Amino acid sequence: MTPETGFDTRKYDRFPSQGPRPEGELEELEAAWCPPRRAGEWITAINNNIIGIYYVGAAMLFFILAGTLALLMRTQLALPMAGILPQETYNQIFTMHGTVMMFLFAVPAVEALAVLLLPQILGARDLPFPRLGAYAFWAYLIGGLAFFCSLFFGLAPNGGWFMYPPLTGKTYSPGINADFWLLGIGFIEISAIAGAIEIIVGVLKTRAPGMTLDKLPIFAWAMLIFACMIIIAFPSIILATLLLELERALNWPFFDPLKGGDPMLWQHLFWFFGHPEVYIIFLPAAGAMSTIIPAMARTRLVGHSLVVMAMLATGFISFGVWAHHMFTTGMPQISINYFSAASMAVSLPAGVQVFAWIATIAAGKMRFSTPGLFAVGGLVIFVMGGLSGVMVAMVPFDLQAHDSYFIVAHLHYVLIGGMVFPLFAAIYYWFPMSSSRTLSERWGRWIFWLMFAGHNIAFLPMHLSGLMGMPRRVYTYLPDADLALPNIISTIGAFLFGLAVLLWVIDMFRNFRPFGRREVGNIHDGPGLEWLPSDYYSVRSIPVVKSLYPLWDQPELAEQVKQGRWLLPGAKNGERQTLVTSPLNAEPQYVLRIARPSPWHVFGAVFTAGFFLILTVQAYAAAVVSGVLAVFCIMRWCWSLDMPHKRRSTDIGEGIRLPNYVSGSSGHGWWAMVLLLIVSGMVCLLAAFSYIFLWSRRPDLWQAPPELSSLILNVGLLAAAAAASLLAPKVLRQFRKRAETMTTVFVLVGATLAGVAIVNEFQAWAVQGLDPEISSQGASVFALLAWSAVFCAISALMALYLLLRRGFGYVSPDRPTTVDVICLFLTFTAVQAALSILLIRLFPGGGL
Amino acid sequence: MDFRSGWPPPVLDPAGPFAGPLTTVAWVLFVMGLAVFLIVVAVLGVALFGPPRFRRSLQTERLVWIGGIAFPVVVLSALLVYGLATTARLSDAADEGEMRVRVTGEMWWWRVAYLDTEGREAIQDANEVHIPTGQPVVIELESADVIHSLWIPRLGGKTDMIPGRRNFMRIQADTPGVYTGQCAEYCGGPHALMGLVVIAHTPEDYDVWRARQAQPAPLSSLPGAQTFTAAGCGACHTIRGTSANGLAGPDLTHVGSRRTLGAGILPNNQGTMAGWISDSQAIKPGNRMPSYPVMTGQELQDISAYLESLK
Amino acid sequence: MRFLSAVSLTVPVVLASCAEPEYPRRTVAGADAARGLELVRETGCAACHDIPQVRWPKGRSGPPLAGIGTRPLIAGRIPNQPDAMGAFIQDAPSLVPGTAMPAMPLNDRQARDVAAFLYTLDDD
Repeated sequence: MTPETGFDTRKYDRFPSQGPRPEGELEELEAAWCPPRRAGEWITAINNNIIGIYYVGAAMLFFILAGTLALLMRTQLALPMAGILPQETYNQIFTMHGTVMMFLFAVPAVEALAVLLLPQILGARDLPFPRLGAYAFWAYLIGGLAFFCSLFFGLAPNGGWFMYPPLTGKTYSPGINADFWLLGIGFIEISAIAGAIEIIVGVLKTRAPGMTLDKLPIFAWAMLIFACMIIIAFPSIILATLLLELERALNWPFFDPLKGGDPMLWQHLFWFFGHPEVYIIFLPAAGAMSTIIPAMARTRLVGHSLVVMAMLATGFISFGVWAHHMFTTGMPQISINYFSAASMAVSLPAGVQVFAWIATIAAGKMRFSTPGLFAVGGLVIFVMGGLSGVMVAMVPFDLQAHDSYFIVAHLHYVLIGGMVFPLFAAIYYWFPMSSSRTLSERWGRWIFWLMFAGHNIAFLPMHLSGLMGMPRRVYTYLPDADLALPNIISTIGAFLFGLAVLLWVIDMFRNFRPFGRREVGNIHDGPGLEWLPSDYYSVRSIPVVKSLYPLWDQPELAEQVKQGRWLLPGAKNGERQTLVTSPLNAEPQYVLRIARPSPWHVFGAVFTAGFFLILTVQAYAAAVVSGVLAVFCIMRWCWSLDMPHKRRSTDIGEGIRLPNYVSGSSGHGWWAMVLLLIVSGMVCLLAAFSYIFLWSRRPDLWQAPPELSSLILNVGLLAAAAAASLLAPKVLRQFRKRAETMTTVFVLVGATLAGVAIVNEFQAWAVQGLDPEISSQGASVFALLAWSAVFCAISALMALYLLLRRGFGYVSPDRPTTVDVICLFLTFTAVQAALSILLIRLFPGGGL
Repeated sequence: MDFRSGWPPPVLDPAGPFAGPLTTVAWVLFVMGLAVFLIVVAVLGVALFGPPRFRRSLQTERLVWIGGIAFPVVVLSALLVYGLATTARLSDAADEGEMRVRVTGEMWWWRVAYLDTEGREAIQDANEVHIPTGQPVVIELESADVIHSLWIPRLGGKTDMIPGRRNFMRIQADTPGVYTGQCAEYCGGPHALMGLVVIAHTPEDYDVWRARQAQPAPLSSLPGAQTFTAAGCGACHTIRGTSANGLAGPDLTHVGSRRTLGAGILPNNQGTMAGWISDSQAIKPGNRMPSYPVMTGQELQDISAYLESLK
Repeated sequence: MRFLSAVSLTVPVVLASCAEPEYPRRTVAGADAARGLELVRETGCAACHDIPQVRWPKGRSGPPLAGIGTRPLIAGRIPNQPDAMGAFIQDAPSLVPGTAMPAMPLNDRQARDVAAFLYTLDDD
């Protein structure tokens, strides 16, 4: 294997080390990673072992809340024309059920699993950005709870979880209910993206040495693909919610056909997110299945590389199937044919995984303890959901099944079989990692069988209800449609499912004892690094990974790790540290100093959530205050990062020294910024798509752009801004004198130029008479410019932040990461603005 | 309870050539889906509990290649071709002379207009579509407010009504009868109570119906006609041949001849008419017609008698 | 004979009513209450009346019909007797001028079935 970084992998042979470990090494490690002692420290904690538990707990709380809503709905639907829930309440409840399940349970639940498990699975001490992870969690918890509480005030959204305009526009939803959805989902998106960046950098950069991509555990693969999909898919829903909120708040017509908007634009944007979302939820769960089934069958996963390929294929194909939710909208025949074919194709990778699991089961001997039951049960349910999925991919059948209870049945089979059952399997499988007592095996069996039976009793009859003509999202049905029988059966099943969940909750209260020092440990005889003996510092020493199933192939590994005979066995200088390795071959690159607990990310989360929620209730002044406080807290949180190190390098064992700091493209901060910019670029790209889409609907409404001279000026200014920001890091590194000041000046100049260009461009269009309230051209041009303007504003904040650091003497050629990251952002801002301006000026055919 | 009363469900009980092929596809899919499910479960069963000899043959990548790739590729390709062919056949363009009806989705009822050969709206009606049997009828689908979707399961698949766009669907009933339909796209409020009926007549009966429907309402000497005007009902409703010319609500020129009230939800007779006028919000919460608690018993009596006389 | 049967019918009723005052249940000879309920559903009586065995609608324009079987008067005017009930259902305006309740499209037999059903509606 060619070395990726020049690290000599023969050095791995020096481990496990021999001889006694130095005195006090373990104590120093424990001190650095000490758990919270005072109550407040449980809130400021950032260790993934703690935040992970909170995170899973919160996700399960929302699962229970949304499940309770489902039971309310099933009670109302048990009998025809029942009057248990009034119509408006029902409409709010079904909207909240879908929204909470998708946004507050499913995505956070798998991110939570990642936060809890990934560091251990990868052999890392913690995730690379633990404060970001904690921030994501707190923003999600606070915002999610407030969002859910809107239900108690009758203010919950009532437009269905896909919120189709014009129903959700100001005309037909004048209340703030829809705003709760749009803004509520807004910060949950932020939280999801923060988590995704954390996961990608975590998987690519903090693996144990030797864990090359072909030895990357399947769960980590799933998480990597999952997080990449979030990066690509979530921008679409971010843009959609922004546009709809702009239409509602400022009357900019993106979806209003009277002014050149088109409701179909929302559907395209929503489903470009919405369909990958299903696989975003499914892939990590499938990764868990591919981990649990081999472990419970005590054998290797058959077709490991096929399964990885299948997951990658799912990721790709899932972005090409969105319009299969729109077969009945009168799309052109050619598009329908393409999307039908793609929708069938996306079932192939799922089939590959299912048969890989079956082959694995055949190869080993399945143990039917609770995780095994849930895994096999989930497989069966998922297969049924997949088959009904193929049915609805067939256009002629979908014309009947679409928007009927058949779809309700299908999606619950897919999501419960593909996500909920695997999640319960995962909880039962990994439970001994995090608790000093196990869950009751006897209860577990009851819970499984109740849930399995309840699921089928609830959802199998719904296929029939759909064929009988029952549309989805109805708060009742007429008595003469023969729908009473399947519905009462469904209700009984739903309550059995609810009973199963209740039993699980009771058992959790009986037996869940987290945060102890003595976990149950590897009772399943699992093969992954997560089953190494661990503590708050994760592993005592980080092993070199030599196979996909290290604990099976090296039975002595656990003991060696515990004795500190592998890499980075201590906490030098009392710092929290983990190894950063190269993305392909996991060769050690440097030692990452991990952030410590702090209150600032918590306050940041509180004010971020506050900003969005206060905005919803239209207390704009208070919202601005909250937003400013959020920005301040986030800056304060960043302030303590990128500080000087006491030493330049650390001995990670056996005389191998790694630097404590790197900058540029090997640094973890650079990676995170690039990922964030991909998110932003996707939003901008989709906004450009929206612009072209709206033009294609009503080209007659489009007016000519401003004169060419202003275009040349503004693009020129942006080019200068980009040049300044590209030069700034070089100035810092190469100037002998006053490098720090010159760099800061370059950044300030760059940010100013970009800001001037954007203001100029706004003015040019305003002078031309373009009004965002009157035409879809105005709305989409101003939206594109506003997006760039926000980036210019953030750039300006960053430039001021840099100025402040310069004032404190924190800008130094030794530690260029802050400057690198800011300049990366500034360059992107300028390029993005220039491209947006070129698009609105030159397309369609104006200007030149 | 009669367990067979709902069988066959409407989707599996097609009544015309635009629904029939969909039902055939549905049956093909059910049979194949069930077969594949049973095969997978059988293989899983063998993998779990089978004798070692059988299990050995399942435990290699070969199973993944066969079960997860080769088999689905063949089956799905065949299905795809079949599905695309069916879709293509169903979406043949309408002939020139086909009868056209424009159905506009409104919150939460259906405006129905029968078009003449020039495409003008010749007859206004609501919540009922009358068609002659044995010939395709083109339905132009529009929306006046939010997205709706027209679904008459026994006559064909559903098609959305999208503001700013015009969609088309074709239906045909082979035998006279009443076919129920429903809004399938969530449109807020009482979406659940947005029904419609399609009534198929023999061509001769249809002509009779259409000729009568084209007539304006006769001059009525009933006291309710006065009350109707005095109460201002004409601000929202039209009765052709009278001064009532409102456009917000359903055309009432022949309301007495309709089968249902409130968009397919109540039987239509003088009693239900009086109840609807008096307190429609109790019957269909949120609908756009206000309750009229200011009317006296006599007024309700008169108006409902008058409206029911509009056959 | 008639007297005896009347006594034998009345005595237990009187005795019972000593313990708990209760009106005798009215019946309509030869009518089918189940068929009456069907007719109530098909006709849509619930558009104006809250009727215990009809879940929807729960109209409010007319009086709720829970307990109609034991009420002394119909529409506050007519003694609640089977024949009167049948007649009222068929053509309320002729018995109570000015009522909102219109004449219903039911024949004699159907009206008697509906009356029989209504008489099954005791208090509560």
